[in-house]
Amino acid sequence: MSEPCSTSATPQSAVANASVLRVRDLAVFANGKPLLRNVSFAVEPNQVFGVIGPSGAGKSTLLRALNRLTDLIPGLRVTGDVRLHDQPIYEASVDVNALRGRIGMLFQQPVVFPASIEENVLFGAKRLRSLHGSVRHELVESALREAALWDEVRDRLRASALALSVGQQQRLCLARALAVEPEVILMDEPTSALDPKSTQAIEELILRLKVRRTIVLVTHNVAQARRVTDWLACVCLRDGAGEIVESACSDAVLSNPQCREVIDYLANAP
Amino acid sequence: MTRAWSWFFSFVALATLAFLVAIFVWQSLPVWHHEGWNYLTGTKWFFRQREFGALPMIYGSVVVSVVALVLAAPLGMGAAVFTAEYLSRKPRLAVKVLIELLAGVPSVVYGLLGILLLRNWIYELFARFDLLSGDTLLTAAVLLSVMILPTVVTLSDDALRAVPATQRRAARALGLTRSETILHVSLPQARRGLSAALLLALGRALGETIAVFLVVGRQDNNLPERLLSLRPLLESGQTLTSKLGSSETNIGYGDPLHWGAIVGLGLILLVLTGALTVLGTGFGKRSDA
Amino acid sequence: MRKLSDFLIAAIAGLCALVAAGILVGLVFVVAQRGLPALSWSFFTEQIRLVGAAGGIFWNLIGTIILLGAAFVICAPMAVGLALVERVWLRSNTARRALRTVLYTLNGLPSIIFGIFGFIVFVQWCGLGKSWLVGGIVLALSMLPTVTVALIERLKAIPAAYVEAAAALGLNRAQIVWAVLLPQAWGGLVTGSLLGLARAAGETAPIMFTCTIFAGATWPHGIKDSPVLTLPYHIFILAQDSFDPAVGAKLWGAALVLLVLVFLLSLVALPSRLKMHEEANV
Repeated sequence: MSEPCSTSATPQSAVANASVLRVRDLAVFANGKPLLRNVSFAVEPNQVFGVIGPSGAGKSTLLRALNRLTDLIPGLRVTGDVRLHDQPIYEASVDVNALRGRIGMLFQQPVVFPASIEENVLFGAKRLRSLHGSVRHELVESALREAALWDEVRDRLRASALALSVGQQQRLCLARALAVEPEVILMDEPTSALDPKSTQAIEELILRLKVRRTIVLVTHNVAQARRVTDWLACVCLRDGAGEIVESACSDAVLSNPQCREVIDYLANAP
Repeated sequence: MTRAWSWFFSFVALATLAFLVAIFVWQSLPVWHHEGWNYLTGTKWFFRQREFGALPMIYGSVVVSVVALVLAAPLGMGAAVFTAEYLSRKPRLAVKVLIELLAGVPSVVYGLLGILLLRNWIYELFARFDLLSGDTLLTAAVLLSVMILPTVVTLSDDALRAVPATQRRAARALGLTRSETILHVSLPQARRGLSAALLLALGRALGETIAVFLVVGRQDNNLPERLLSLRPLLESGQTLTSKLGSSETNIGYGDPLHWGAIVGLGLILLVLTGALTVLGTGFGKRSDA
Repeated sequence: MRKLSDFLIAAIAGLCALVAAGILVGLVFVVAQRGLPALSWSFFTEQIRLVGAAGGIFWNLIGTIILLGAAFVICAPMAVGLALVERVWLRSNTARRALRTVLYTLNGLPSIIFGIFGFIVFVQWCGLGKSWLVGGIVLALSMLPTVTVALIERLKAIPAAYVEAAAALGLNRAQIVWAVLLPQAWGGLVTGSLLGLARAAGETAPIMFTCTIFAGATWPHGIKDSPVLTLPYHIFILAQDSFDPAVGAKLWGAALVLLVLVFLLSLVALPSRLKMHEEANV
């Protein structure tokens, strides 16, 4: 369940710069046409920051702009300021690969590599530092435990990851992302492809994860947003590009939405 | 009616093919009777003395093709990595088209370039080895490697592109660099297609006649004592195809044994290239109904 | 460290691409450079004289064109028949896969095998001697897989919706073939044939025993013992004996003309090839 929220519409931090992620005037253009505009928000530490909105509004694009996966899409241009712990990430001097090690991502469809479960977990972590023997094993175990998958796979770590069910695969992807020890985890509709039981497992995981990490969650399931998020930003299409039309504490948004589009959306969404 | 005509023409085509294989088997029978297995293992080919050993030619074909592949594969696959992983859509299409165009250069043109250019380069390059001429197995191998280069590049590029983009994206999202993604995701997952590319390129090299004929030296009975050494590459040799393309094919027709020996070479070639092609296409393609 | 290897690998790959492209473009350039001086109006319109040291390649071009025409006419019906059988008439998946395997295997057979086959069956047994018709048959066989596969791919690309709509209107399979499939597949036939012809134009091995001679032929005068002159064979013979400098320039000229012919045939097929690549998920 999400935490009770303060009455103010914007988050108060003791020091303004304590936000983990701060976004100001982010805009994303595809071949000149704007996909996202005037996006500004701040993500606080240990918060589950939710992003909801209708399909096509640009939620996934927004998420990808946060770990510069937008760099990989030809024709996409990002303007504005995105800061991780007050360090801008869109500078030429930034090591993008290291950045992605600090801001991990979970996709809607679990993408599992055709290798063993153990290999999958270590796939990203292996590149960052050399792992031998017991250190390796400990990392595998801790990542799988944190992803609530350890008990189910502990005796078949060498088995192919492709044999796992979809729900297990998604948790494996989470373990893989966790093994890299990111501070922030971006999740792009992580339960859309899963059955209700796996969905519930992931939601419980998210609530446990936020104790040590910060999560930005894109979802179009309002009930999920209610269950899991602390803060909600609503992205809707305005003049053909996505904009944040409302951004406030989850309870506030869900019980008393201000914006017309959000009201419509909440009335019609699952 | 349409159905009948379709089946008729298909039948004609297929029957011709079956007939082709049958003819090669049948016409080569005399030499199998005469030599038995010695046909494949014998090292001397003296048609006037009715002695037919095809081993030097099998050796020649295999050596020339394998060396060609060894030369072309790294270069071709490296180029394919570039086109598949680093180029965006339009440049990649342009390069693909260019390469397909260049794959069509006729072998006789390659042969010409081999005779008038490559042969001299090899002769000068290896002058200290006292070559008799620039027509050597190595010359043929180098020429072949350029000929199969487009095949290697195109097929390897296809194999790499077949790896889903989601796999690459997941690796990048974990913080892997582009080259790490290529080494640990794209290349391993494209293994089957890449092997297929190499097998098909090898088959193409084995079957090449004209270019090899012009620069290999056409020296019979030159099987070296130590098969795996490199020195024999610098000598003239004979391959299955260069023998088939020679005047012996014309001369041999009247004499059943000699003709059988010649056709037998064709049969060996047919079996080798057929096997490689079946393996290569079996590997690469999945069933597509 | 990781950044270094990232850069190195990109550099190596780029270098390979550059070298590969350079070699291939370079050889075309060499042929062009040496062959261009020999090209002139008379080169195209005269016949060979002085064993290639003078005159032109007129009859060689004619001969090659005759062969290509014959090859197309013989190959097209078989390719269409095979493609239709594979796509429309064969119901079992294993049979279709077997057919496709046969086609792919055929594609990998060295062209000299077809040449020897043609020599045995048509030149000798049928008593046709060296004849343009035999050359056409042999070339048709060697291009059959290319054309058939191109046709099959084109047929596969026809949306099932069209066929369903036609079937729903009551057309039987043969009528669907003529009304829906063939009109759309025509492009595939043209593309595949052009590609096959491009490859066939440059072939020497299958024609040297079956239909071509070096000098002395003009128009074929019948079917038996009617060889033609061809470009590739011309180059092949002269290349083996190329010490006469006067021959040299004309030899490169002939090679350049052959190259241009092959490229032209491939280029005409280009637009549909480009579309096919796009559709095949670049």
